[in-house]
Amino acid sequence: MMKKNHVVESITKERMVQLLASGKRLDGRALDQPRNLNIETGVIPKANGSARVTLGNTLVLAGVKIATGIPFPDTPDKGILMVNAEILPMSSPYAEAGPPSEDAIELARVTDRGIRESEMVDMTKLGLIPGKSVIAVFVDCNIMNVDGNLFDATSYAVVSALRTAKMNRYVVKDDKAVATDELIPVPVERTPVSVTIARIGDKLVVDPNSEEEASMDMRITITTDDYGNICASQKGEASTISPEQVLQAADTSISVGKAIRAKILEATS
Amino acid sequence: MPMIQRKQVIPGDVVAKGNYRYGSYIEKRGEEYVALRVGLAEVGRDEIKLNPFTGPYLPRTDDEVIGKVIDINGFGWVIDINSCFDGFLPASFVFGRDFSPATHDLSSKFRVGDILGTRIESYERSRDPQLSIRGEGYGKISSGEIVKISPTKVPRVIGRRGTMINLISEKTGCDIRVGQNGVIVVDGSPDGIVKAIKAIRLVEEETHAPDLMSKVEAALGGGVVGGN
Repeated sequence: MMKKNHVVESITKERMVQLLASGKRLDGRALDQPRNLNIETGVIPKANGSARVTLGNTLVLAGVKIATGIPFPDTPDKGILMVNAEILPMSSPYAEAGPPSEDAIELARVTDRGIRESEMVDMTKLGLIPGKSVIAVFVDCNIMNVDGNLFDATSYAVVSALRTAKMNRYVVKDDKAVATDELIPVPVERTPVSVTIARIGDKLVVDPNSEEEASMDMRITITTDDYGNICASQKGEASTISPEQVLQAADTSISVGKAIRAKILEATS
Repeated sequence: MPMIQRKQVIPGDVVAKGNYRYGSYIEKRGEEYVALRVGLAEVGRDEIKLNPFTGPYLPRTDDEVIGKVIDINGFGWVIDINSCFDGFLPASFVFGRDFSPATHDLSSKFRVGDILGTRIESYERSRDPQLSIRGEGYGKISSGEIVKISPTKVPRVIGRRGTMINLISEKTGCDIRVGQNGVIVVDGSPDGIVKAIKAIRLVEEETHAPDLMSKVEAALGGGVVGGN
């Protein structure tokens, strides 16, 4: 029989709720404390850029591929950016092979939205021949181990991979885009950082692990940029959140995001 | 007592030659007994055994296992027993022979997420293992902290005739219940639980260290903690 989702032991959940009431968590973290973040870049030699990110026990590998492509008709002079994420079947007892699950699709879209809406990559610098040829940036992520909060881990992996990616400089010759041997960085302007906050009972916790994710009532993922602007957000799960808690979550995501951004910048510069 | 020879083997290694009784994870090829897993082989006078270092829990009849209710259907509870198979606890084992899905409410007894101490009633390869809670001490476990270890390391956590587990239990003042499937429930004072879990993790990490017993004893320190 297939295991559909993570069932948290009732005695564990009881303790979790008890601890949360006194401001503690099962793994000893403070409510607004994310897990240990570790970033390695350049792990795939053949990719333009890559990063392996661990957030606690969650492990994500991101790779960047850069090529030329045909622009979308509504943005003829802008480049193409595509972020995709896949959850490998071996990453968790609950992941299955086959077409991507709803969760995997949401993960890819939320990650993509954070990168896109923060205008991390200056797309106008990726145009080559308007309407005909532009630079296309593909970021593919593989989730290799699941221990909660895939949103943030994947987002950090994508940002780190893009920040360290190198691409060939293209020149236009005889109305054709030609790659030169010169390697240049991707035009990165900002460093978006996504912070996921889960509500368990009436408490908000940052960076939920899989046990907390399985017990949460709702979650909200907020992406902020270097200037503390909120660029994207996504709410998940069936339950609701009060306006006060949304504001609290926004403040937390900015302050926690700041610390994480510093770590990403340190690891990628 | 005959001398038992121990050696680490990898798949393909010849454990012994000759005529022996042999257990799981060993294959007989002509005169040779070949290991199929990475593990510690024990060659006795007329018997060879292989204890793999890792692996899933494979159910055996009469094993005591600790499981988690993950689903309820009309006829019983589906139990996660930390194995590649899900256990099944039939409702008739709990409500008696006159059980009928129409009159009995299964979730009034055990809900999804509950932890149960169970025994494997029967298991054949063609069917999922059937569980039972008949007998003293079986049934819902209502408090404690859950620790999961590799099922292959359960014998070391228990120790020879329960010496290791008794030591940890005595030193920390905790009730410790070990399922053969690698699920352990530790109950006691908060400090005791933390200490007991540390000790169990130590045993798991250094399974094959010589004189593990005194190492654990040293880690736990003298005196009795908790005990409220």
